[in-house]
Amino acid sequence: MTQIDDTPAKARSPFSEAFEMFRRNHAAVIGLVILLTIIIIALIGPMLYPGDPFDMVWVPLSPPGEEGYLFGTDYLGRDMLSLLIHGAKVSLTVGVSAAFVTVIIGITVGALAGFYRGWVEEALMRLTEFFQVLPTLLFSMVIVSLFGASLPMITLAIGLVSWPAVARITRAEFMRIRELEYVTAARAGGVKNNKLIFSVILPNALPPIIVQAALMVGSAILFEAGLSFLGLTDPNVASWGQIIGSNREYILDASFAVTVPGVAIFITVMAISLVGDGLNDALNPKLRQR
Amino acid sequence: MTEPLLKIENLRIELALRSGQAPVIDDLSLELNAGETLSFVGESGCGKSMTALAIMGLLPEKVGSIASGRILFDGRDMAQMNDTELRAIRGNEISMIFQEPMTSLNPVYTVGEQIAEVLRRHKGMNKRDAWARAIELLDAVRIPNAKSRVSAYPHQMSGGQRQRVMIAIALACEPKILIADEPTTALDVTVQAQIFDLLRDLGRDTGTAVILITHDMGAVAEMADRMVVMYAGRKAEYGPVSPVINHPRHPYTKGLISCVPHLLAELTEERPDLTEVPGIVPALASFGTDACLFASRCDLADDKCRSQRPPEVAFGDQHSACWKADQI
Amino acid sequence: MSALLDVENLSIRFPIKRGWGKTSWLYAVDDVSFQVNRGETLSIVGESGSGKTTAALGVARLVPNSGGKVDLAGEDFLALEAEDLRKARAKVQVIFQDPYSSLNPRLRAEAIVREPMDSIGTLPVAERAGRVAELFEQVGLRPEQMKLFPHQFSGGQRQRIGIARALATNPELIICDEAVSALDVAVQAQILNLLRRLQRDLGLTYLFISHDLGVVQHMSDHIAVMYMGKIVEYADRLSLFNDPRHPYTKALLSAVPSVDQSRNVDRLLIPGDPPDPLNPPEGCRFASRCPFVEDACRVDQPQLNAVTDQHKVACIKA
Repeated sequence: MTQIDDTPAKARSPFSEAFEMFRRNHAAVIGLVILLTIIIIALIGPMLYPGDPFDMVWVPLSPPGEEGYLFGTDYLGRDMLSLLIHGAKVSLTVGVSAAFVTVIIGITVGALAGFYRGWVEEALMRLTEFFQVLPTLLFSMVIVSLFGASLPMITLAIGLVSWPAVARITRAEFMRIRELEYVTAARAGGVKNNKLIFSVILPNALPPIIVQAALMVGSAILFEAGLSFLGLTDPNVASWGQIIGSNREYILDASFAVTVPGVAIFITVMAISLVGDGLNDALNPKLRQR
Repeated sequence: MTEPLLKIENLRIELALRSGQAPVIDDLSLELNAGETLSFVGESGCGKSMTALAIMGLLPEKVGSIASGRILFDGRDMAQMNDTELRAIRGNEISMIFQEPMTSLNPVYTVGEQIAEVLRRHKGMNKRDAWARAIELLDAVRIPNAKSRVSAYPHQMSGGQRQRVMIAIALACEPKILIADEPTTALDVTVQAQIFDLLRDLGRDTGTAVILITHDMGAVAEMADRMVVMYAGRKAEYGPVSPVINHPRHPYTKGLISCVPHLLAELTEERPDLTEVPGIVPALASFGTDACLFASRCDLADDKCRSQRPPEVAFGDQHSACWKADQI
Repeated sequence: MSALLDVENLSIRFPIKRGWGKTSWLYAVDDVSFQVNRGETLSIVGESGSGKTTAALGVARLVPNSGGKVDLAGEDFLALEAEDLRKARAKVQVIFQDPYSSLNPRLRAEAIVREPMDSIGTLPVAERAGRVAELFEQVGLRPEQMKLFPHQFSGGQRQRIGIARALATNPELIICDEAVSALDVAVQAQILNLLRRLQRDLGLTYLFISHDLGVVQHMSDHIAVMYMGKIVEYADRLSLFNDPRHPYTKALLSAVPSVDQSRNVDRLLIPGDPPDPLNPPEGCRFASRCPFVEDACRVDQPQLNAVTDQHKVACIKA
């Protein structure tokens, strides 16, 4: 019997194909390079550029370039570059941790609501809606002012107000995938419910959640900056938002002190968005056909 | 004999692949006469739908294009026409119905509005006349109670009724050619019988030529006058339906007929295994090769089949592109 | 001969929410009974909305049932709960219609076939890999294809993986739910031959769900014709195809276009579509489309009565 062999012998997982797609997306690759650069700076920058960022090193609000301080000094005469480098770590940590909190809560609620019908779904969706209609900024301000403006608390507050979006996406994906035949096949094959949820449906539901989580990092950084700007922050750590917040009164005299961290936030969030878009295209099987 | 309504000469359509250009339609010639039904058969990926899209001037832009050949409709070459000229023909003189009647209708307009819109655009009718004509058309495609159904939305109709509406829209401008691309694949068999009945009567009454694209040999036997068996972008066999089905001269045609368990007039206890056509249609990239593309699935194939493209051999009106046609 | 599967008065209904608090019930399967003998194939045919797939999935406990009895190899299958049910699922496996959505895209072919063994199989862990390889060979796939992912296979090959998965637990009954209708005709023949060969070699019992009467004719020993949740005719293969008694069966058979042109005469065309399943008509459900209808048809629902030993019809005029 003649057999036409159209099958490549090498197994290519959906993930390796997605990676291939991502690599071909120039904007996303540029975004990823920028993001990795920022992450590397955040991780090893403090070692390469020593000195406590909270030390006064020069006259306050000295413009960039003077006395060798690349980005000038802030209102207390601290080195802006040093603050920025240390701030990168803080902002990224807050962003990533808040996205993590968001995804954990969102996936749990969304997966349960999407898998089980009936009262579980009803109850969880009402809860989701409750959190969704809360004015996010106000609610997080209340949490932070009640429980103290520490970074973990701020992270938690951001996570608490952001998870409904993830929960809704997860639930929608679960409801779609639950009806697919391979899930029915797994049920017919005696697969237990918890395994159905976490190792059959969830991996297939992940692509849009991953994209959402990536974008979440960006919006959490922005959110933290917003809270810091309003003064709801830990004054002992210098996030980018906190730098902006503390220098805001001098915006007219020394706009660089606000602009420089602002641009840092902008570049980071933009890089994250590019990566998120790239992931979105790469994980979308419909676009992969070409 | 009079000039055929549609004459395709040596048509070659190329598709841009990552690996280069591949001919999805390779040297296709055929004629369609007024009032007749011509059927295209073959597996998916053999170029049936691509031919239809080319006739409609609807090839996917930047992906597929006519590389050479002519599509003569009423003596004019459609392959050379610009978009404006094509648009004047499309939906007016040549129209098309598709497989999926749900997605081909716009859900936010009533079916009457959608039929009337076509009439106003192509025929310049006023609102009132177009509406009245829409009712007539729904009646013509045998939608019961057309007067009230004309105000129904697509989701309020069954799949069969939606396909009738599609046919009504396609017929609105009294086209000379109706292309039906797997029109009943999404429908139940009793509804398919109704639609076939309708198409047959319409062809007889209006003289519209029908191109029926299908994978179902039974449907061909029942509906068509002549048939074209397509394989990998090429014409494997063509001719009048009866001789082709009763005595196929191409192993692919033969395989397509005998691999399907048919309902016979009288069933017997005997049930031999179905004839298998092993393998699948080759990948697009190999479509242009100078060889018989069916050779890899054919048990008659020899070295010649694998190294030279077979020419068409005529057996009366029946033509087969096979080196071994006389042995079959 | 003993029946492997004995379904009695199976009903399956779905709630349809209509506005606040109002719920109508859609009877997808309404009081249906049938038997399948060991080693044989029973086909359920019907058009969309007839309830054929729902009935089969109800037998497999993949949709909730609302009454009836399913006796499978001496066990009351509908009475099983929770863990007992999960384990008993090894006895009924399903081959699904869509070769694309029926395989988990994130698993390698071997993992897909192995999944039921890991969940409910009785085979010792050490022997499972060997069994997977054996199954691959049985369904005509090559050993090196075990490591590939579903999207790297053609439709026919994917369906072979689905068949291997269905065989993994050595089930008593295999449900083929439109198992070939998404495939091209040439590939369809390969799969149908494979299913018949496996039946011969392994003594499998099939509950075969299809809308394609040609395929059903080729595959079945007995056939049940369903219309709007009811079985309207039940017969052995030759009786059903050569001597159909119910007007719906007659219409269904005569609607199929065939290359045998002597069949394409005297067509029995039935008009219209099936009525709204939420408001089924009183009496015979086919009455609204039946060419032979009379007043008595609209009064009582006709029962499935035996006309011969192997042939039952639900029509007062049969």
